[in-house]
Amino acid sequence: MIHFENAAPVKIKGVGGGLWISLDPSRPEDVLITEVDKIFTKLKHLAVNANVVIDMGDARGHDDLFALVKSRLIEKFEVGRVTSPPKKQSAPTQRIRQRDLSRGWDQHRSDVLMLRGRVRSGQKIDTKKHVVIFGDVNPGAEILAGGDIIVLGRLAGKVHAGSPADETAIVFALAFDPTSIKIGTITAAGSEERSHATPEFACVKKGSILVQDYMTTNPFRKMPWPEPV
Amino acid sequence: MEGKIIVVTSGKGGVGKTTATSSIGAALALEGNRVAIVDMDIGLRNLDVVMGLENRIVFNIVDVVQGRCKVEQAAIRDRRIENLFLIPASQSDNKDVLTTAGVERVAKQLRSKFDFIIMDSPAGIERGFENSVVSADEALVICTPDVSAVRDADRVIGLLYARSLNPKLIVNRIEPARVVRGEMLSHEDVLEVLSIDLVGLVPMDEKVLISSNTGTPLVLQNDSKAGMAFRQIARRLNGEEDLPIEMPVYKTSMWHKLSKTFGLKQ
Repeated sequence: MIHFENAAPVKIKGVGGGLWISLDPSRPEDVLITEVDKIFTKLKHLAVNANVVIDMGDARGHDDLFALVKSRLIEKFEVGRVTSPPKKQSAPTQRIRQRDLSRGWDQHRSDVLMLRGRVRSGQKIDTKKHVVIFGDVNPGAEILAGGDIIVLGRLAGKVHAGSPADETAIVFALAFDPTSIKIGTITAAGSEERSHATPEFACVKKGSILVQDYMTTNPFRKMPWPEPV
Repeated sequence: MEGKIIVVTSGKGGVGKTTATSSIGAALALEGNRVAIVDMDIGLRNLDVVMGLENRIVFNIVDVVQGRCKVEQAAIRDRRIENLFLIPASQSDNKDVLTTAGVERVAKQLRSKFDFIIMDSPAGIERGFENSVVSADEALVICTPDVSAVRDADRVIGLLYARSLNPKLIVNRIEPARVVRGEMLSHEDVLEVLSIDLVGLVPMDEKVLISSNTGTPLVLQNDSKAGMAFRQIARRLNGEEDLPIEMPVYKTSMWHKLSKTFGLKQ
């Protein structure tokens, strides 16, 4: 804990359902009691029946001080309930819990361009974001994205994902049949044969573009929690 | 009632725009409509030859747009089919002599004088295309079952949508035998890529060449499969939208079946 010379030994703060009292246990007991008295006298009837949390920071072994302040607050100022701060989880567990439960996407501004309809020959979609297209991409059409390209339909045009140089980008299509594909700086030509109507995705592995069946080698299956992109 | 301007376009050249224009125009006239066919391919005049009217040209569409003559003076009446007129293109000018404003002005006059005005657009998507589609009420896209024609048609469809036109598709020169052998795209393949309303399927027909070269209307030949298909398309455009679209089928001959049975042919 950081101590400043003139830091107040007792601080009060209003929290959700009550009052949060920060005590500095390194100060003498009588100083703390006087300070608490001073604050609660000022509060007058506001203190009556209030929920009070006494926070002594990371310091341990001050149970007698806690009991003393508790009994004084209840007897003298008629507060409702006095508790110690809720126990903290260990850091990694807490992070996982938070990611699992905190619904971080509530605050997330989307970086995805979502489009509906057919992209025809001669039309070009150019964006710095990820692209999701509900529809087909015809031969002769072109899609250039700063992130991933996802086509919920037949992809038969030319695509460049991760432009200009992001090789972690992927290209996914329900029917994967592009004329040419580029991820980051790596280019590959489309297959000569028309693809079967299976969902496939392309990503960069060892410096070249690899196209795999999405249903058997789903790259996101092992992610521990959903992450907003 | 005001007439309707239908533009026939394709993007790619040589897919049968001119044949389709003249045939659909003639078939609509046979249905009892007053029809004007306008050749918008300035500098590469063809429609007059296909319709057999080249030696009767006095004025052309450029003269009309530039105010050198009236619409009635430029419209050549067809002698075989009643109520069918041709407004030819100019052979000596280029596409830049027409302006969209001028075409729109003439289009207004044409609408008041005819039931249907069929415009034959030039190949490409430049000035000539702009001039042909500027005043159109409907658009027909002609496409052959070739990969290149499909790609160009796709581009043109995008451009037509951008002009608030809802194009309809005609798949031309279908060879059912080659589709069966897998040498050619089927009309389903074409439709899958283009995904617009189909208005007709036209089979490959040798009579088209003969009729174009002799300047006789294809739709007057009852034994022409393509001619019949164009007459069906005209009926659909004339309001009979529920008329079923006939699929060109591949009929295997007796000899073919026999030789297949005895293992002489694959």
